[in-house]
Amino acid sequence: MTRLSLRNPLLTPEQIVQSPSQRQGMSQTLELDLRAYGCHLVEAAGIVLRVPQVVMASAQVLFQRFYYLASFQDYPLRGTVLGALFLACKVEESPKSIRSIINVVDIIIKRDRGYPEIVTDGYDAEYYDLKNEMVIGEMQILRRLGFNVQVELPYGLLVNYLRCLELTEHPLIPQLSWNYLNDLLRTPVYVCFQPETIACGVIYLAARKCGVSLPASPPWWIVFDANEEDIKQVARAAVALHERSRLRIMPLDSDELEMYLQGSLDDHINAIRHTRSESMASTI
Amino acid sequence: MEKYQKIEKLGEGTYGIVYKAQNRETNEVVALKRIRLDNEEEGVPCTAIREISLLKELKHPNIVGLFDVLHTEKKLTLVFEFMDSDLKKFADAYGGDLDPLTVKHLLYQLLCGIAYCHRNRVLHRDLKPQNLLINKRGDLKLGDFGLARAFGIPVRSYSHEVVTLWYRAPDVLMGSRQYDTSIDIWSIGCIFAEMSTGRPLFAGNSIDDQVLQIFKIMGTPIDTLASAQAPLQQQQQHLHQPMAGFAVANGSHDDYMRRAWPGCTQLPEWKSNAPIYSSVPLEPLLPKLSAKGIDLLRRLLEYAPEKRISAEQALLHPYFDELKNISGGGGGNNSAI
Repeated sequence: MTRLSLRNPLLTPEQIVQSPSQRQGMSQTLELDLRAYGCHLVEAAGIVLRVPQVVMASAQVLFQRFYYLASFQDYPLRGTVLGALFLACKVEESPKSIRSIINVVDIIIKRDRGYPEIVTDGYDAEYYDLKNEMVIGEMQILRRLGFNVQVELPYGLLVNYLRCLELTEHPLIPQLSWNYLNDLLRTPVYVCFQPETIACGVIYLAARKCGVSLPASPPWWIVFDANEEDIKQVARAAVALHERSRLRIMPLDSDELEMYLQGSLDDHINAIRHTRSESMASTI
Repeated sequence: MEKYQKIEKLGEGTYGIVYKAQNRETNEVVALKRIRLDNEEEGVPCTAIREISLLKELKHPNIVGLFDVLHTEKKLTLVFEFMDSDLKKFADAYGGDLDPLTVKHLLYQLLCGIAYCHRNRVLHRDLKPQNLLINKRGDLKLGDFGLARAFGIPVRSYSHEVVTLWYRAPDVLMGSRQYDTSIDIWSIGCIFAEMSTGRPLFAGNSIDDQVLQIFKIMGTPIDTLASAQAPLQQQQQHLHQPMAGFAVANGSHDDYMRRAWPGCTQLPEWKSNAPIYSSVPLEPLLPKLSAKGIDLLRRLLEYAPEKRISAEQALLHPYFDELKNISGGGGGNNSAI
């Protein structure tokens, strides 16, 4: 049996205002950075694994939803990233082996940190730890989300709406609005608004950037079941994201989170990078 | 698990053992489906994820109820509404000889359940008598929402047991990946015929054989697009060397209409070497089915997926008028919709 689409669950205002991580004392900035980094890992791994776009997007939405129901302190980032990818591959009928998902995510983290890019051999302790994190991550996502893991995405709607608005031939708007959809996966937008509103929001922003005016009376978005206030919020979220730059070294587990909060994570990572490079050099 | 007292083992499901059990507090009888989570390479089975995520949303009198999901470290237990039997066992118990009114009641409920799924844009993809649950009151409910797997529809399940082909739509058999709600409708047509005769309508033992079984009864499809494009002379040449999929000008207009399937020769695994069969009348094959029933069956088993009747429309077919007259006195005939 397959889903064509069930509606996405949306957050209540209370859930958005204070996330579980912030309730346990995490700063909003750190939480946003962790969310952005987790989504980066999912996206980068998805590209290497050659999964369809819908898998990468669904995994990011699951990751975002999860951290409105559980905290980064209780459920560290890496296990959730692995679990969300594993789950999205299954839900979207594009299964990947545990081994390949772990290897790819692991290599991307090593690259971000400047570690030597050595693939885990599938038998060492490092691999078993990651596998354990992944299986637990998957189960926790299923549990917290109550198995509500169907994700309805706005990509198809965007294409239809652009066609209705006769914008498909515009040199910039289609690509720009598509990019905004990808960027917004790193924000809470996908857990706050239905896909129709998100698709309208990115068209609104792209059209403004390109100085294209769209039908105003009645406003064009009414046809697509969206309202002005919501689509402006979506557009604002996309703008805000572009003003932030992504960090490459983020805490992935509980120990690293503690070090990060004490300000010692960078030194720790540098030390590991140094030792690993040394031992690489000596084996060559 | 303390909450439920096991009564007996009912069988092995697609991904675990199924038990009949009783809620210790309420005495309610339920079916427990246990899913082991110690599979090293799969994590939580894909089938379980789909079944739970969809059944939690789909609430309807003709869809089996999922009451609860219990987690423990090593296993997941799904708590389902208990059903006494399934359509296969039910029909076997009557020696395959169900009376026409019972068939009508069951088909109506099956269509109500699937119409609700399709309204919610959900495809079942694996309708067959074993997946249609029946209780002592004669209620029919769709069950087993977990058989869909990656990459469309599998020929083999994970246990390498061959999944039955008998209810699979011809477009899917011939490699279409563009399938939609119409694939469930074809299955319903096959089930309807089987309820009426006690025997499967198309009982193939391989994909090729299954296609052939369908062609033998429904006729070899004619690609009306391909034949419209071909110049007349060329078409006449085909009279002498008939090829599957092209119009052959023998047989009646009815036969042509039944076999018409625009674009069928473009299917990925179109059987271009298949013999040319005319469609055969269905009445002799289904002697117990009324004329209205035959008409509905033809609409369910329409070749072209886009022309196949929808579940919603099928419920309005005159074949069901009899049910409306009966329940009309009792007040309301669409309570199950």
